[in-house]
Amino acid sequence: MVNILVLNGSPRAPRSNSKRYAELFCKDCTAQTQYCNLSPSNHVEICEKLSDFSDVLLVFPLYADALPVSLLNFLKVLEQHPPKQKLVVSVLINCGFIEHQQNDIAVRMIELFCKQNGYRFGSVLKIGSGEAILDTPFAGLAARKIKRLATSIVNAKYQTLHITMPLTKGMFIRASTTYWVNYGKKNGVTREQMQTMQIESASR
Amino acid sequence: MKLILTDTPLQDIDQKREDIRYFDLSACKIAHCVGCFGCWTKTPGKCVIRDDAVHIYPCIAQSDRVLYVSRIKYGGYDTIMKTMLERAIPIQQAFIRIVDGETHHVQRAVVPKQATILAYGEISDEEQALFRQLVDRNARNMNFERYEVRFVPQNLLQDAVREEVRKW
Repeated sequence: MVNILVLNGSPRAPRSNSKRYAELFCKDCTAQTQYCNLSPSNHVEICEKLSDFSDVLLVFPLYADALPVSLLNFLKVLEQHPPKQKLVVSVLINCGFIEHQQNDIAVRMIELFCKQNGYRFGSVLKIGSGEAILDTPFAGLAARKIKRLATSIVNAKYQTLHITMPLTKGMFIRASTTYWVNYGKKNGVTREQMQTMQIESASR
Repeated sequence: MKLILTDTPLQDIDQKREDIRYFDLSACKIAHCVGCFGCWTKTPGKCVIRDDAVHIYPCIAQSDRVLYVSRIKYGGYDTIMKTMLERAIPIQQAFIRIVDGETHHVQRAVVPKQATILAYGEISDEEQALFRQLVDRNARNMNFERYEVRFVPQNLLQDAVREEVRKW
């Protein structure tokens, strides 16, 4: 029987986009799922919990072209505290850029982890424009792909899927500029302030 | 300015050379990035976490040559170096531009740089290949004009660092 631990590896797990993606997955998945946030203090606890599951879905954002440290640290603990059975490890990754391919290196890192530790590598969904897509008219596209991801894992017919906003790069840049300007506005920060070239006390 | 970032203490670094900044990250207090976007949208160019990282990312931005020394894990930087690289995002803006046909963040005052990465640890051929691809991607986000990746056994690390710094 397939049962899936959906593990949010985002550093801002409780208020992350990864959480929203994970919730969509749990809603659409026909197998039993349980959702967990990674925190710096619960790694061993989650490693133990994994013994009750056939699958784990790692949900996380791309950080500096790779795995976020929050997830990297967990994988290192998992090496030391492996579950009783070998899991199938699947991935749902998102990056803020429009190219879903920018997630490829991080996916290959998980694949390498699986190879080094004897886990079966399962399905992958790579999301581009992942910072904003759920708040746009394209949210349904992402939701449909997440449903396909869930089906592929439940049926053990593993696939690599991807989705991004169907926009040209120029349109994406204009849309993302508006998104970030509005984000700053909520904090009382103007576009010009956000565009400062200064870094800390840059004059030194 | 030239910069050495290392995740392990290095000996014989010439501390008298004013043009070289040296940070042993293993001796620094650096929390992990919490993804709050504060450095883009609340205090642009400044991280809201006021630990040692705020002294280091301006040096990354100002340096035209950087030497990063890091253990490798799963084909990427191990925790200490990766934590610092994640905390360096205040040197970028939230806004997006096109670089080499791909979308990437606009840089603030970041000097184009020559980067050398000394990677150590038990690194398989597959991991080496993956790490090279990672650095190639990093180059676009970190303003590397040129870069070199060298895989070095840990016991030869000090020699390799001396050799690289001598070129400066």
